[in-house]
Amino acid sequence: MVSAALLVEGPEQRLDLLQSPNPSALAALAAAANNGRMPKPPRQLDSRYEIATPENIAFSYVLAGPFRRLPAFAVDLLLRAGTMFLVFLVCTSFFAIGADGVGLSVILVTWFGLSWFYGGFFETVWNGQTPGKRLLGLRVLTVEGQPINALQAVLRNVLRDVDAMPIVGVGIPLYVLGLVVMAATERFQRLGDLACGTIVVVEKRRVLGGLVRVNDAEVIRFSQSLPIEFSPNRAMAHALSVYVARRKLFSAARRYEIASTLAGPLGQRLGLPADTNPDLLLCALYYRKFIADRPGVEAEAPSEIAEAAQT
Amino acid sequence: MKVAQLLEQRRDGWRDLESLCLELERRGPRRMGAAAVSRFASLYRAACADLALADAYQLPPDTVGYLHALVGRAHNQLYRSQTFRFRDWSHEMFVELPRRMLSDRTLWLAFVIFWGAFGLSMWLGYASRPYAEQVIGEVTMASMEASYSAPLVGRDVDTNTAMTGFYVLNNAGIGLRCFAGGLLLGVGGLFITLSNAVQLGAVFGHMLTVPQRDNFLQFVTAHGPFELTAIVFASGAGMRLGFSLISTGGLERMASLRRAAVLAGPMVAAAVVLFCLAAVIEGFVSPSAAPYVLKAAVAVLTALLLAFYVVGLGLAARR
Repeated sequence: MVSAALLVEGPEQRLDLLQSPNPSALAALAAAANNGRMPKPPRQLDSRYEIATPENIAFSYVLAGPFRRLPAFAVDLLLRAGTMFLVFLVCTSFFAIGADGVGLSVILVTWFGLSWFYGGFFETVWNGQTPGKRLLGLRVLTVEGQPINALQAVLRNVLRDVDAMPIVGVGIPLYVLGLVVMAATERFQRLGDLACGTIVVVEKRRVLGGLVRVNDAEVIRFSQSLPIEFSPNRAMAHALSVYVARRKLFSAARRYEIASTLAGPLGQRLGLPADTNPDLLLCALYYRKFIADRPGVEAEAPSEIAEAAQT
Repeated sequence: MKVAQLLEQRRDGWRDLESLCLELERRGPRRMGAAAVSRFASLYRAACADLALADAYQLPPDTVGYLHALVGRAHNQLYRSQTFRFRDWSHEMFVELPRRMLSDRTLWLAFVIFWGAFGLSMWLGYASRPYAEQVIGEVTMASMEASYSAPLVGRDVDTNTAMTGFYVLNNAGIGLRCFAGGLLLGVGGLFITLSNAVQLGAVFGHMLTVPQRDNFLQFVTAHGPFELTAIVFASGAGMRLGFSLISTGGLERMASLRRAAVLAGPMVAAAVVLFCLAAVIEGFVSPSAAPYVLKAAVAVLTALLLAFYVVGLGLAARR
């Protein structure tokens, strides 16, 4: 923020800043650079990755870290072992008819194919998913959020061999290198991902979470008594919906405590008595903002809306 | 409009989109029919619009999260990669790749390093037994001498087929490992190329000094050109990956790596094909009792084929 301010402000201010390096001057300068707007919130620390689509909207994926990818890898490993076992059973029955060579050869070539091209094959055919990834709701995409092509799919799986290092004993991969590289990169990419420009994202179904049901008679009655011209602004509406969505997790005393941070000053502004229940006030505002202004409107399908919103 | 009403209005569309996504995943777009696909597209656009306006609508955070996941899921069904197309790949393998190989300095470097180190090590292995002992190890040396002690009389078809499978698994696996190892510290490819060349050279040099020499040459001549060239291709591709991290050509380091991977990929594919062809020759021709002239002819023919592939097709593609 401050460095950005240094770039946009004139030389006098820069000089000024250098001469008086006190924090309030810095803050003032930063605020000036923002034209008095609120500073942008810092980037979220969780593993989200934003993608802009050709439809010109941005949506975000949750990136899959090593601990989401490990179970998918384990499933794929089991499947590979299972397939290998089946091929082994089928091919050893060739031995009975005397085609030992063909049987052995098929086993060995299948082993080669499965160990190097299993992932590449499925990620090509299934649009970035192996059976394990499909089961656990993961998908490989390019860093631009586009589907991967055959070359990327095969190459990222061939390069798994370096990520698997160090390989100890009878060829047991420890995946230490891959893990370290994943931890060191911003988007949980192992070396194979870095070389192919791919990421792994979570693509799970989410339950449609809607509005919370607050058709308590007391809340509705209270929302009528609030001044009609008052309407929560965007930031407050957000705070209200976050609060109401989570209030069921808290005890009454805790709700009282949390709600009073906002409800206290708000009650004063609205001229409500000091002993107003803060939880009730926030619920009533929520009801008015998101569900209905007057009971008459809401009466069309009150419980239906609220119930559907809950499912 | 209140959020409750809006949600009521949109919910069915979102649910439909969700089930269409599931169906697309299960059955693929071809079997869904045009009507379902175009309905999917319009529902997707509607969901995109809802997500874009989520802030303006003041949708609850849970709903926004749901929309992000829904749009992401639908996006992945709508935008698909061009799956494998034979025409594109044959163009890549027979026009683009030879042209690039011919002017690929990394590949020529790998070629020179491999054959240089191979020749040097062969000479050393031929001239001094202690050198060969150090490089190959006495146990391996003894077992190699033992395995070539009898003249080749040919094996039965069964053993040949089984051994071909083994050569694919083992040699192509080593080749792919050489390629992947090239990424290590940028110079992994250099190290792997050198160590392969020194090992193989020492074996060749040493085997020329022992009485089993003729049997050994009988065996290795036919598949030599394909197999050794495949190693050069694989390690050259690996070196390309590694060097791209060091010499970025003005790109960001990771962008340089990505560009190198796209160029190196088809070269590794060529190496794997060569390894498989070499495995067939090694399985069927090399161990046979056929006269040496025939095996030498196979070697010359395969070497000419390779030269034609890189130089002939490369020059043709250049024009």
